[in-house]
Amino acid sequence: MTAMSARRPRRRPTKWRPIVTGALAMAVAFVVFVVPFLFIALQAVKNRRDASRLNFAWPSEWQAWQNFRDVISERNYMLLLAYFNSTVITVGAVALLIVLAAMVGYVLQRRRSRLNGIVMALVLAGLMIPPAVVPTIWVLQGLGLFKTIHGMILIQVAYGLSFSVLLYRAFIATIPKELDEAAIIDGAKPLQVFFRVILPLLRPVTVTLIVVQSIAIFNDFTNPLYYLPGRENVTVQLTLYNFQSQFSSQMNLLFMNVLLVTIPPLIVFIFFNRQIVAGMTAGAVKG
Amino acid sequence: MAEVQLRGVSKSFGGLEVIKGIDLTVASGEFCVFVGPSGCGKSTLLRMIAGLEEVTDGEIRIGGRDVTDAEPSARGIAMVFQNYALYPHLTVAQNIGFGLSLARMPKAEIEAKVRAAADTLQLTHLLDRKPKALSGGQRQRVAIGRAIVRDPKVFLFDEPLSNLDASLRAEMRLEIADLHGRLDATMIYVTHDQVEAMTMADQIVVLNGGRIEQAGTPMELYRRPDTPFVAGFLGSPRMNLFNGDAARAMGTGVYGIRPEHVLLSPDRGRWQGRVRHVERLGADAIIYLDVPQLGELVARTGGDTTLGPGAQVWATPQDGAEHRFGG
Amino acid sequence: MAAGVGLSSADVRLQGRAPGRTRRRSPYPTWFFLPAAVIYGALFLLPTVASLWFSLTRWTLFEAEFIGFENFRQFFREPFLVQGVVNTLIYGALTSGLKTVLGLLLAVLLTGNILFRGTLRTLVFFPVLVSTIGVGFAFEAMMHPTKGVINVALEAVGIDGPGWITNPSLALVSVALVDVWKGVGLATVIFMAGIVSIPADYYEAARIDGATRWQLFWRVTVPLVRPATVTVVTLSLIGGLRYFELIWAMTGGGPGFSSDVIASVIYKQYQAGFYGLATAGNVILFGIIALVVLPLTWWFNRREVDL
Repeated sequence: MTAMSARRPRRRPTKWRPIVTGALAMAVAFVVFVVPFLFIALQAVKNRRDASRLNFAWPSEWQAWQNFRDVISERNYMLLLAYFNSTVITVGAVALLIVLAAMVGYVLQRRRSRLNGIVMALVLAGLMIPPAVVPTIWVLQGLGLFKTIHGMILIQVAYGLSFSVLLYRAFIATIPKELDEAAIIDGAKPLQVFFRVILPLLRPVTVTLIVVQSIAIFNDFTNPLYYLPGRENVTVQLTLYNFQSQFSSQMNLLFMNVLLVTIPPLIVFIFFNRQIVAGMTAGAVKG
Repeated sequence: MAEVQLRGVSKSFGGLEVIKGIDLTVASGEFCVFVGPSGCGKSTLLRMIAGLEEVTDGEIRIGGRDVTDAEPSARGIAMVFQNYALYPHLTVAQNIGFGLSLARMPKAEIEAKVRAAADTLQLTHLLDRKPKALSGGQRQRVAIGRAIVRDPKVFLFDEPLSNLDASLRAEMRLEIADLHGRLDATMIYVTHDQVEAMTMADQIVVLNGGRIEQAGTPMELYRRPDTPFVAGFLGSPRMNLFNGDAARAMGTGVYGIRPEHVLLSPDRGRWQGRVRHVERLGADAIIYLDVPQLGELVARTGGDTTLGPGAQVWATPQDGAEHRFGG
Repeated sequence: MAAGVGLSSADVRLQGRAPGRTRRRSPYPTWFFLPAAVIYGALFLLPTVASLWFSLTRWTLFEAEFIGFENFRQFFREPFLVQGVVNTLIYGALTSGLKTVLGLLLAVLLTGNILFRGTLRTLVFFPVLVSTIGVGFAFEAMMHPTKGVINVALEAVGIDGPGWITNPSLALVSVALVDVWKGVGLATVIFMAGIVSIPADYYEAARIDGATRWQLFWRVTVPLVRPATVTVVTLSLIGGLRYFELIWAMTGGGPGFSSDVIASVIYKQYQAGFYGLATAGNVILFGIIALVVLPLTWWFNRREVDL
């Protein structure tokens, strides 16, 4: 090859194709995916009159800080309370989900027993069956968990289990069983095998699950709408929704609120971009 | 160091019996090799001794104590796995000391023991590495280190060399044999490689279809195989075995002769045949003959043979080296 | 080896061991299922089973009066409820279909050799992570019939933009398009993983056989990316059928009931205090998902065997 090209210097044409498609795709992606976010950001810093026009005109005055303060202080700092509640729900639910789903996925993948068929059917049912909302409220009331943060956490765990179990099960299948056996011979009890050998090895999926589930739970609107009504329990998404009617003539504040709600996932995304994509795909295709 | 005794040990998966009543004694300090084709039950038997598989029936004793239903960790055994089974998230030192730390041994003591094991295996400079930063041979040594540090009475090896390349395998074979000499422990070693079996074992146990086909020293099995299966399994190239009319003509059910015991001559002998193919290995050459009375006959001869395909030769079995296996 | 047969010791144990032997515990204890099972059983399974009963009652949460199939009868008698069922199917099919097709095309583009690949991947995926309600509000504003950015832009090139979410016959489709905008990133990522896992040999062999790009796509990528396709179609279909957040944020089911789906109808009935009727809606939704998804997975699995 080198000998040939030395003899007859070949004109290597510039590869235009990747550049042209890339630039074209970038232009389309900019319009489709970036413009809506620019739109949100722009409205959020306008004054009330400018924002009501809903256009891309340059703001006649910049009042990002004032809009920010107005949104935060609205209804006696409800948004701050909402952030607090949403954080508690998200952290609590994700922590429980990780441990419980990993335990189920582990035994489900490792042990071959008749129970597995049933467990697997239940896991798949959880993916498919829409939750029966009113009966769930009825159960929550019976347990004294309706309208409580605890109840909301447990609901999010129950609804998130199926997906998490499947992801863990698929990943655990790639961990050789000999590792468990080596640990057993080394004298490890079942809990030690799980917590000292298996759980540390699950870190890649665990990171993915933490990211995906926390974003899903933080962004969840429907479930708090049903199971967590009441002012003192508001979550971020509910607040946003409730402000809509109030802000209908103040689009600048509405979009400042949207912007604020978008920030936590954005931060998570910036930090875990690679891992989300890698982990999602590892489970999704094999699973 | 302890004797391992199996009495009537059997194992069924569902309705399928995979180990069919094994009686075997592995003497204290012996290097015993279980060998057989895949699916013969050798790994299952080893895992039953380890306690990783339940025993359906029968009894296992280690050092005179009945361990049939004991936990793996309570049997005084250590095991080296085919894929090493090193904990990927722990360093070499933590891997070797894992069992000790589970047993809540004081840190200083663990460190001393790990260091001692690492010294024996020339792993000292690798103690802080993670397994993925090690070569295949090094990983193998760590796995052995993890076994040594437990001070077991019995070492169990499950095809430990099959993931290594040929030259490293020869090296590790020697190293394990050395280790056996030094530790003077009982070792049970599973392999499908008859070279490993022949070179390392004090006692070879040939398994086939969940039964012991024959057990004995390597040379016993080589010289006096009880069955055509054992005869064919040990030795390379494998023994020529003939049944049917050819064997009946020689007054037996199955007739066997090893290639190294077939003498070739240009002008006289028992069978006349034509050379089909010659494989030159350097020191030796393997000659494939078509013999009308028998079919294919393989002979081993000196590497300087001038025979080529098409040549007519006479073949004669060496005196006293013929095998006749009943009808 | 026989060890690979992999029946657990517990099963063998059941086949009858000599009596009197102590039973050794499995290293994989079944009680690991327990904590998850309690939560899942109480908050998901129990309500699901209970819904079958409550859907047959007039229900106030405190007392339930058995009324047979009256709730279901009522559901299918009210034209706007029937509209909800039809809308659910349209919405599910539209979002799932578009996400699958666009996701595959985007995945091919984004696994190919192009400039700005990393940035493009990020851009496509990011909407997945953003608040649905927020996205809904943004698009509601951008789809405003006169002031909205979209119609203003269309006007600039001489097109009279429609009333995206004010026109009853268009509202549902508009919301579905926004849903695709938000969700296509996930489909793309799943397809990307599928494409990356196709061994390069197949492409090389096909190219040696003289296949064009187009043929490579249809003869190699599409058939071999099947597991990803199954995942995308199934997940997005289940999601699309039971989802109403975006509809709620953008149209609230309107104008009129033109963009109501079963899930939003359930919420409206719940708000109005018709608990039995809302629960019947739940059962109907479950039935529809089962009727659509189960045959589909069965069909997918059957095809897999042929492969």
